[in-house]
Amino acid sequence: MPVLSRLASFGRNLFARPRVERDLDDELHACLDELTDEKRRGGMSAPDALRAAGIDFGGMEQVKEEVRQVRSGRMLEEFLQDLRHGARTLLKNPAFAVVAVLALALGIGANTAMFSVAYGILLRPLPYADADRLAVVYMRYFPRDFAFGTMCMRDYLMWKDNNHAFQNPSLFQSLRMDIGGHEGVPEQVQGAKVTAGFFSTLGVPALIGRTLAADEDRPTAASLALLSESIWRRRFGASSAVLGQTILVNGSPATVIGVMPTALRFPRRDTEVWTNLTLVPPTRYGPWFYRGVARLNPGVAMQQAQSELNHIGLRMMQQNPFYKRLTLAVLGLRDAVLGVTLKPAILVLAGAVGLVLLIAVVNVANLMLARATVREREMALRLSLGASRGRLVRQLLTESVLLGLMGGAAGLALAWGGIELIRVWNPGDLPLIDSVRLDGAALAFMVFLSMLTGILFGLAPARESARAELNATIKEGGRSAAASRARRRVRSALVVAEIAVSLMLLVGAGLLLRSFVKLQGVSGGFTVAPERILTILISPGNRKYNDTTAGLAFYQEVLRHARSVPGVEAAALTDSLPPDRQGDADTFAIEGQTLSPGDIDPIISDVTADPEFFHALGIPLLKGRSFSSHDTQDAAPVAIVSEGFVRRFLNNQQPIGKRIRQSGPGFGNNWLEIVGVVGNVKYLGLTVDTDPAYYMPFAQNYGARMFLVVRSSGDATRLAPALRREIQSIDPGITLAQVSTMQQALQVSVSQPRFDTMLLALFAGIALLLAAVGIYGLIAYSVAQRTHEIGVRMALGADRAAVVRMVVRQGATLAAIGIVLGLAGAFGLTRLLRTMLFGIDVTDPWTFLSAPAAILIVVLLATFLPALRSTRISPVVALRYE
Amino acid sequence: MPATNLLQGTLDLLILKALALTEMHGLAISHRIAQMTGGTFQVKPGSLFPALHRMEEAGWLSAAWGESENNRRARFYRLTAAGRRQLKSETEQWETIALAIASALQAS
Repeated sequence: MPVLSRLASFGRNLFARPRVERDLDDELHACLDELTDEKRRGGMSAPDALRAAGIDFGGMEQVKEEVRQVRSGRMLEEFLQDLRHGARTLLKNPAFAVVAVLALALGIGANTAMFSVAYGILLRPLPYADADRLAVVYMRYFPRDFAFGTMCMRDYLMWKDNNHAFQNPSLFQSLRMDIGGHEGVPEQVQGAKVTAGFFSTLGVPALIGRTLAADEDRPTAASLALLSESIWRRRFGASSAVLGQTILVNGSPATVIGVMPTALRFPRRDTEVWTNLTLVPPTRYGPWFYRGVARLNPGVAMQQAQSELNHIGLRMMQQNPFYKRLTLAVLGLRDAVLGVTLKPAILVLAGAVGLVLLIAVVNVANLMLARATVREREMALRLSLGASRGRLVRQLLTESVLLGLMGGAAGLALAWGGIELIRVWNPGDLPLIDSVRLDGAALAFMVFLSMLTGILFGLAPARESARAELNATIKEGGRSAAASRARRRVRSALVVAEIAVSLMLLVGAGLLLRSFVKLQGVSGGFTVAPERILTILISPGNRKYNDTTAGLAFYQEVLRHARSVPGVEAAALTDSLPPDRQGDADTFAIEGQTLSPGDIDPIISDVTADPEFFHALGIPLLKGRSFSSHDTQDAAPVAIVSEGFVRRFLNNQQPIGKRIRQSGPGFGNNWLEIVGVVGNVKYLGLTVDTDPAYYMPFAQNYGARMFLVVRSSGDATRLAPALRREIQSIDPGITLAQVSTMQQALQVSVSQPRFDTMLLALFAGIALLLAAVGIYGLIAYSVAQRTHEIGVRMALGADRAAVVRMVVRQGATLAAIGIVLGLAGAFGLTRLLRTMLFGIDVTDPWTFLSAPAAILIVVLLATFLPALRSTRISPVVALRYE
Repeated sequence: MPATNLLQGTLDLLILKALALTEMHGLAISHRIAQMTGGTFQVKPGSLFPALHRMEEAGWLSAAWGESENNRRARFYRLTAAGRRQLKSETEQWETIALAIASALQAS
């Protein structure tokens, strides 16, 4: 069989090369001998016959080479030859190889890591059936101005009645749930209440047991619970006996009907319990707790669904005059899970890391060009020995691709470390971080990138080398002046590009860094040091504490026990905490102020706090009095407002004695008299500018779930175990959750800006390092090349300072050009950062001045070392240098 | 006598034809071709051996070491079944072309 025979010879040519070669040699020599014999039989003398046969036969080596050319596997063989040659060349010059591989490893590694992050978060298919068709529906209206806000049950029913775009719209609410029961210590977990269609909409079947049946969101349905795989393993020992068992959810019994696989991470990444939301027919509007999730009907596009929802929104507004400017917003499931800030940040970071790779490539190209000069003679020699130029280019490209792959392999290790680092930096904050991993896609990306970079930085030097002028090169002893001048210009241009690109990255990192420092400098509105404040969320569990009298008595006990713990300076209660753990927000009205037509009641934070709260956190009392133990249930209702409240809603008039009330639907005519003014506190996050708030006394506005706030004399974390013990000694059924210091809470609230800033700063740092290596290499090389010239200059009387000036000027010129180009680029590109900045403008002058200064310093340092070395050149040695 | 430049296809056909009756070593093939063509085709080793190796890899020829008529070790080539089929089809092809060209040249 021809195919088999070809395969066999292919294998022989590759793996039994010595035997194949020996056979060829034997065969050809036998032929030559045979020919010689014939000549002798024809009557020639022995030497004549030998000579004639040789002439007839032709060159032995040429014939062999001709035969080798037709062998199968020739291309592969040449490729392996190039590879061996390339590896040998790299080994011969380990310094070059190490620097190049390191530069590439940094570039490719950072890119592979970032690719994994971007792919995992933005592209990897979500683990739900046909996830592109899933959408989340939000409601936005004034006065409650949340872009991705919630709706109430009445709104849902209206949506469902008028819906054509979606299959079976479902409703969900994310909330904290206290889970207790026979199985162990009560704990608080992330939970969700969902309607019956929720699981079938997402298309996730239960791991064991079942999901909700179609009628299990009716008003009369029993309370049911589904567990995540994680809580099932943690609390129930992964036993299937859990099915049918009754657990306590927020103090009420619910029957476990199923366990959901880890793949289900909705509505939140850490949701561990789902209970059935029962659709009790609403008698009024509110509460606004819910968002919708639904699957698009076949053939319906997201835009069509949006326009249908626009119509439904208009009808909702007509039916309820409380709603102003209402819109129903629909987002694809991925966008809903990611939120609005992460995607642009990841795209910016991916762009930045691409620039880092660009710098690495430029750097290695520069090294290759420098080496090309050294290898000029090798190339010329090979050309003159008959190698074709195409063959030389192929060989040099094989070498650079080999280098690229070595860099990629080293980069893979870096990428792996980088991804682990990102996980550590982001304990649970980045959504979809679980789908970030180094996998086949990342590996393919890395290999592709390595080969691409290998070709990129190899092509120009390879073509240049193969174009070498044979005569000039060999005659001039390896120094063709014109070629090397052209090459120096190319190398200078590359270094200028490096400086420009790293400046752009540095400016971007500088902006984020400045913004982050500003963010860290924002006061939460309290004066006590954040590491001295410990907060614990208390859920009493037992429903008897829902009663105000029992509850108040319980919390008096909690405070008494807490204050007895050594190291506790103050203990207080609140339902809201800075920086972003606000409790409620609602509309309110001020007595005597009537709204102009079309205007609406504002919504602001309303906080329930006990008398000690302001003192414990160090929130300054500016006017009037704080709450006191006399503000009881039976006393006249009072309120305290913030400074921002007075400025924004009272026109800075005297606030004490004015009356306000909560004005949303369902609130009565319960006027509260303002008795004091306190400083502003950031309940909506550090980045929210004005945050007016009003406070109501705990005794007059009781709620069962409260934060205990403790001020410690030292490090507050040490108090946690003692406090836990004390509080649970009151009632072991109490759930304690979110135990953290204010310091930790502040850290978590800025974790995404911190993530963005650290990554971009890291990338800019790598870029700067690479650029410094690049310019150092260029200058050092040019000094080495100009040794002769410098020697002459010094022999003719130039002093050391003049020589240093000359070398440094070369570097400074390149830096100046690079900085001008880089600043222009930065002005254009930093606009992309606008949404990521806080407190500074994208053209922040401080950044735009200090980043170029930093670059200039680094460049001058990188230039100065070779410049100094040049002054140590002795004229005598230099002139003999040839 | 000047040797005519051989077209590659012609060389293959001539080698196949030379080996049609018996196995031969390289030099003998070269002599046989010269003899068959009345000396018109003188195949040099530089063309002969690459062709032989190429045809061997294609599976038309097989080779084995043997003894030459002068008691020297030599590599003998012989046609395989595939080689015979190749000879047949190349012969037919050649005859078609030769006929066509002959009639083209005879046309007035």
